[in-house]
Amino acid sequence: MEGEKLILDKYIELSRDMGGKASIEGDTVHIIVPSEKLVEAASKLFNEYQCDFRVCVGTDERPLNGYFTITHIFTDNRNGLYVLLKTYIEPQDPKVPSITNAVPGADWCEMEARDLLGIEFTGRTPYRLVLPPEWPKGLHPLRKDVPYNYRPQIRGVSEKVSTTTETGVIPIGPYHPALHEPEYFELYVEGEKVVDVKYRGFHVHRGIEKLGETRMTYQQVNFLAERICGICGFEHSSCYALAVEKAAKLDVPERAQFIRSIVLEVERIHSHLLWLGVAFHVLGYDTGFMHVWRIRERVMYLAELLTGSRKTYGINLIGGVRRDINEEKKQKTLEVLRELEKEYKGLIEVALSVPQVRKRASGTGVLPREDALKLSVEGPTARASGIDKDARRDLPYAAYKYASFRVPVYTEGDNLARLLVRVDELVESMAIIEQLLDKIPKGPILLEKYEIPEGRVGVQVVEAPRGGDVHFVITGHGKPYRWRVRAPTYSNIPALRVMLRDQPLADAPLTIASIDPCFSCTDRVLIVRENGRREWLRLTGGLKI
Amino acid sequence: MSFVKKIIKPVEVLVVASKTGRVTIKYPFEEPWISPEFRGKIEIDPTKCIGCGACVNACPPNALEMIESEDKKTLRYFVGRCIFCWRCIDVCPVGAIKGTRNFELATNDPLDLYDYIVHNRVKCRECGKVTGETTRMLKYVLEKAFVTENYNNKCPDCRKKIFINAISMRRTGPVGEKT
Repeated sequence: MEGEKLILDKYIELSRDMGGKASIEGDTVHIIVPSEKLVEAASKLFNEYQCDFRVCVGTDERPLNGYFTITHIFTDNRNGLYVLLKTYIEPQDPKVPSITNAVPGADWCEMEARDLLGIEFTGRTPYRLVLPPEWPKGLHPLRKDVPYNYRPQIRGVSEKVSTTTETGVIPIGPYHPALHEPEYFELYVEGEKVVDVKYRGFHVHRGIEKLGETRMTYQQVNFLAERICGICGFEHSSCYALAVEKAAKLDVPERAQFIRSIVLEVERIHSHLLWLGVAFHVLGYDTGFMHVWRIRERVMYLAELLTGSRKTYGINLIGGVRRDINEEKKQKTLEVLRELEKEYKGLIEVALSVPQVRKRASGTGVLPREDALKLSVEGPTARASGIDKDARRDLPYAAYKYASFRVPVYTEGDNLARLLVRVDELVESMAIIEQLLDKIPKGPILLEKYEIPEGRVGVQVVEAPRGGDVHFVITGHGKPYRWRVRAPTYSNIPALRVMLRDQPLADAPLTIASIDPCFSCTDRVLIVRENGRREWLRLTGGLKI
Repeated sequence: MSFVKKIIKPVEVLVVASKTGRVTIKYPFEEPWISPEFRGKIEIDPTKCIGCGACVNACPPNALEMIESEDKKTLRYFVGRCIFCWRCIDVCPVGAIKGTRNFELATNDPLDLYDYIVHNRVKCRECGKVTGETTRMLKYVLEKAFVTENYNNKCPDCRKKIFINAISMRRTGPVGEKT
């Protein structure tokens, strides 16, 4: 208790030094600082207090208080605290100092806020990240005065990413049979060696955040959040529900939290099995791919039994879940897990003994720890580079505090390490499900009556198979006022540049696959196109690694 | 592990494969592997539906829509948008919606993707104007909450008028008549 007080004092002192104010709500520390002190405060949080940078959120709060705001979300993993660093920005000519020099991981989210809200960041090179190049200047879709169904008349133009003639250019994507999703990589090669990489993503404009803020109700957004990702959708809907519940201070039944945790782990198992299959396929070990996917089918059936659907489970609501786990389902789950564990262990032993798997994965796509820390990477990518972080343990949510599990950490930072992290995590996940099924308390699964007050803030990190999902919610009338989603791939893609550099070209597909990228989750922002000027894109150009 | 064993280990996958045998099934000639909890297409019972629109409000992807016309209210279900979340089943006050395990919904006629349930709207007995509710909704409400016979089947405007009239009659005589 004494220690906890000291830690909170540290943050209050920080805000006092910066001429701001701090308030504490549950596990969230809200710090408001004047904008000229923002960089100093962020740098202190990131470098001195070793907080983990997650994402920044720009909000149009003009209808509420006449200002734009930017909130940098940090998490203090050692003490299980969320630290929100917020600053108000004048609505005329919104300008705020950029924190990318202190926190390189903030590069993308600042540019996203610039595109979608028109907040200018000083002290860095701006470039257009999210919106297509033909999008008209001065139209910022996430501002509250832009209706959600507004479509400017635009004509698509083709976009040229590279202008270099010095090195060979190998384009991958945006539609490539091996990639499953639209993204565009440009590899610059000298002979066999990759010397630089450019990434152009954000081809998928779904307008999910805007939809959640305008057209849908609190309960409907759960189902929309689930569709952010095709693989880890339940993490997103849980994350959203937990964020709203935290904002409204709802007391969700324990049984519901247990069921959430169990289904989250089921999802992790099937996601990692899927990834292992894809990795074996990329490595040229198709036998392994077939067998891993064969045993994955059991998990899909299990998910369907527990929730009613193979994917997009649709059981999350604010205040609890919709499907209970009865005795029969519990026995069936344990039975499936027992068989799965036996089969999985035998299979993975065989697969890892295959010489080409080990040889091609080890030593390729290395991400050193320093770079991983600087870029705030997430999930297995971070854990394979020696960063011991896992939101399930560090910022316990749902029912994870009742389960004991090991967080596998490898220090090599190569593709094999990322593979082994997932291999180990699978076994842990099976153990977690067994423990939670054993401890599941009796009681209701859904909160019947509750109220969600307006203007509250909730932030939640949920450890998805690929890393931490972050959902930031400001509650509004009948629907979220602001809903910001960050998928883990969003922070992992910039790290690809480090991983791919100075590597043989043949290893590039495996390295790209090794972060388990999910591009559509990353691109959940807005819109189409317009008659307009063409701009040269500077992709990850502002980031100096 | 001895050297030879290490070399031979990858070949063990043959044992796994031969033990497993064939796992694919001859769909559609064999039953697909579907759990009893599976959520498929919904079916709306037209005899039970009262046209209240609770499902329309709950439906996240707008697969259920209420189309209002002069004297009809039509509940339209479009399978193409349905995400099979069964929220409509949760919220239906009369239990008119039933979930099925049917997922084989491909068709060569796009009209098969739509279901319509047409409801009559209540006409005000006083002024003849159509009100918001359907006839069945009115019946349902009357069963639940007792509204004076005098007031049902009337539009809100007429109800207000009757009410004010009734009070004024009691106190000062009819409204609008000056002595």
